[in-house]
Amino acid sequence: MNKEIVQKMLEKYGDRATDSMFERSLYARDLAPVPAILANMLIKTLPDIVVRPSNTEEVAAIMKTAFANNIPVTPRAGASTVYFNSVPTKSGILMDLNLIKGIVGLDEEGMTVTVKAGTTWSELDEFLNNQGLAPKSFPSSAPAATIGGWFCMMGYGIGSMKYGSLLSQVKSIEVVLPDGSIKKVSQETNPALDWFVSSEGTLGIITQLEVEVRKLTNMKHFLLQLPDARKMLDTMKTIIDAPVVPYNMHFSDQECLKAMKALGFSPANMDIGCIIGIDYEGSDEELKQAQEIIDSLAVANKLVNPIPQESAELEWEERFKALKLKRGGPSVLGAEVWLPIKGLPAYLEDVQKMARGYGLNLFSYGHVVTPEYATVMTTFYADETQTIKYIINLSLVKKIHDIGHRYGGNPYGVGLWNSPMIGRIHQPPQLGELRKRKQAMDSKGIMNPGKVYRAPLMLNPFNYSLGMNVLAGVRRVFGKGW
Amino acid sequence: MSKESDKLYSTLEKEALICGRCGYCRSACPVYQVVGWESAAPRGKISMARDIFSKKQTSPITDDFVKRLSQCTLCGACANECSTSIDTRKLWLDLRKRIADLGKQPKAYDAIRDNLLANKNITTFDNADRLEWAQDLDEPEQLEPRAGADVCYFVGCVSAFFPQAAQIPLAVAEILTEAEVDFTTMGGEEWCCGFPLIGSGFVDDSKQFIKHNVDKIKEFEIHTLIASCASCYHVWKHDSEEALAGYELEVLHTTEYLARLIKEGKIELNELDEVVTYHDPCDLGRNSGIYDAPREIINSIPGIKFVEMQHHHQASLCCGGGGNLQSVDADVASKIAHLRAEEIKATGATIIVSACQQCEQMLTTAIREAKLPVKVMDLSQLILEAMG
Ligand SMILES: Cc1cc2nc3c(=O)[nH]c(=O)nc-3n(C[C@H](O)[C@H](O)[C@H](O)COP(=O)(O)OP(=O)(O)OC[C@H]3O[C@@H](n4cnc5c(N)ncnc54)[C@H](O)[C@@H]3O)c2cc1C
Ligand code: SF4
Ligand code: SF4
Repeated sequence: MNKEIVQKMLEKYGDRATDSMFERSLYARDLAPVPAILANMLIKTLPDIVVRPSNTEEVAAIMKTAFANNIPVTPRAGASTVYFNSVPTKSGILMDLNLIKGIVGLDEEGMTVTVKAGTTWSELDEFLNNQGLAPKSFPSSAPAATIGGWFCMMGYGIGSMKYGSLLSQVKSIEVVLPDGSIKKVSQETNPALDWFVSSEGTLGIITQLEVEVRKLTNMKHFLLQLPDARKMLDTMKTIIDAPVVPYNMHFSDQECLKAMKALGFSPANMDIGCIIGIDYEGSDEELKQAQEIIDSLAVANKLVNPIPQESAELEWEERFKALKLKRGGPSVLGAEVWLPIKGLPAYLEDVQKMARGYGLNLFSYGHVVTPEYATVMTTFYADETQTIKYIINLSLVKKIHDIGHRYGGNPYGVGLWNSPMIGRIHQPPQLGELRKRKQAMDSKGIMNPGKVYRAPLMLNPFNYSLGMNVLAGVRRVFGKGW
Repeated sequence: MSKESDKLYSTLEKEALICGRCGYCRSACPVYQVVGWESAAPRGKISMARDIFSKKQTSPITDDFVKRLSQCTLCGACANECSTSIDTRKLWLDLRKRIADLGKQPKAYDAIRDNLLANKNITTFDNADRLEWAQDLDEPEQLEPRAGADVCYFVGCVSAFFPQAAQIPLAVAEILTEAEVDFTTMGGEEWCCGFPLIGSGFVDDSKQFIKHNVDKIKEFEIHTLIASCASCYHVWKHDSEEALAGYELEVLHTTEYLARLIKEGKIELNELDEVVTYHDPCDLGRNSGIYDAPREIINSIPGIKFVEMQHHHQASLCCGGGGNLQSVDADVASKIAHLRAEEIKATGATIIVSACQQCEQMLTTAIREAKLPVKVMDLSQLILEAMG
């Protein structure tokens, strides 16, 4: 990036801009500990400058500079994503959106809140709870994830089962387009709201969102132990089809329970079968019905084992702590699959076959987020200090995705690392449409380049597939017990 | 610090690798809120620590890194939020020790150590003058160390030597006298509790301070010790176990002890028509688990309307005064205090009460600078006022 432009930005934004190597280096990473040797071979992760705008006008001014000078811009908020979604691939400007935070207004009659994009879900929840309200849904990374960040990702998580995706709850957004113009976007405008959902910062920078809220109500939590994945699916279906819709439903397989137990974190100290956690919210009448639904399951089928209420409540309290598993690591690798729940038992079976084949433990857990789909996380332990073994282990991530694909699933979220699998996520016409939108909105390709639409050259689907399969082969032969 | 994370803590190298970089800690960190760069966020610092220590020193220890490590109040908010149950407060202390072992600590820490080793307290005053504040009492000589007393009041350096903080020990002493408690102090035999040394990474040096104080307590045959400074209390409660092994000593914060006296009917409280909010000192609340006693005391004063701030109990926001931060970056410390002052303002309280002299100092300055019509008091002062 041109030195003069960097200098001008440093002068303009003062202590909210930096080109210090020390500071910038921390924006060249996210949750995924990808060995620098690998990342640097493929992309330029180190931004030339990091800037922290504090309002929409500043975002627009930065975008105008970037647009005029063809400088790549990477938006970054909570940086709680794992596919280098908010890590640069072509250096340039890293726009840190965490100062764009706070509540703009609450419309209690219309039951919406207007909130700045860099506000975290926990902050919004706290604000709303004080008014007797709550967000309809939120990601299970709410303490770090921002409203804008989740909208730019897939927007499914806790509460989606009852209230749908985040897209269905957002009325309008304020967005700064790549040329620096500011636009209010709703489902009626052109471009429309749905262009921006899952756009991962590739179409513009969202600065404000109007989101539907719900009344804060009481909750009831249940945990059920099932002997196997098939019984788990049957039970899930019965619960989904019952007259009261759960607010949240999540599950863990036996390997996950075992790992949690070994770490001392298992709810009710279980390590046999699978568990489903079901959380309801609503009127007292709804909660009463919910209790009856769950009670009747256990009465009708002796294989359904209800776990005491305190454990179910504890499980809910720990809803943001999925990463606890990492204590058994030190590192964790894995794949998150958007999977039709009907394929869940077969998926889990194949995952265990894979585990045996490679001589490793694979743990799966996830959230049922619509009546038909779940987000399933399958992970395994690795050790990032052993660089070569670790890189070889990375190949197993694709193998997990392959199993997901076999049962109608695809990667949940794209970023950089899932971009070779973009053809699995979208059908060709859909992908064509997305690329057209990108071209229309960002013809210069400056918004978060290298993400979502197509993989960078070295990661093109053919190279990626070949490379990963070779590494997986090496892993299978030499890597037992890594 | 939760009990769980305290138990789980393994080594700096392992814990740094366990961190998942989720950023929950970042949202809670007051220093990050003020500084704004990832390098100041707990996950940023751990990420660098991982490169340096877990990956076998592939990265150098830079001055920038050391600076960020010292810009931390040790408030423990990050540990409270951590999604992988890392006792990050312990990790910061470990890191500061490693840095000090390598001789790379900030100059300000050297000054803290040199002064403490020379004077046995955090000021340049003669340690023998520790009871100077007591001259305002009717019978100051009663506070000279006395063996076999029921209770020993560990005054702490700030209360003993900073004139602005003297009202706290005076209030404690008056209350104890009124309640007819058989109490004493360690007088000039009291040394700094050792916390500033632990917080600077000079853990070995801190041990001689802890040992000295414990030896004196044993010598004076004291079996109940109360401290009004949250950090002194924390050291006595959590860092003195080894030195105290085999000796029976009940360690209480003054709020716990005074709440007990109130329950036993030894203190009578009159009506106060005030709106009061309470600031949880990090070392008393989040890092020691004491939330109820101070609130019980406030709520037992008739007429008081008690309001919580936005962040309280485990989620309480630091005052900025911990972790030796003031000695390395007074500006960041002051900005944090101002964040807290905003929360105090939002409650509409007429009095903000805390239970730590360092918190009281930080908040007093911030409230004065923000020109808020709010009185800052230690809980002991509030009790004394209610006693009429
Ligand atoms: C423990 C854990 C649990 C998780 N649970 C869930 C879950 O339940 N559901 C789920 O979907 N994900 C989940 N995630 C993934 C991630 O936390 C979420 O997707 C989160 O919403 C991302 O928000 P963020 O603020 O961290 O965004 P970032 O990671 O900073 O950014 C995400 C993407 O959006 C872009 N971006 C961010 N903000 C803006 C903006 N204002 N305008 C334009 N572009 C922007 C970035 O460039 C990037 O491409 C989880 C992660 C963890 C670690
Ligand atoms: S909350 Fe814990 S695991 Fe997450 S980034 Fe912070 S220290 Fe690491
Ligand atoms: S102890 Fe407090 S100041 Fe230090 S890193 Fe953690 S949250 Fe930040």
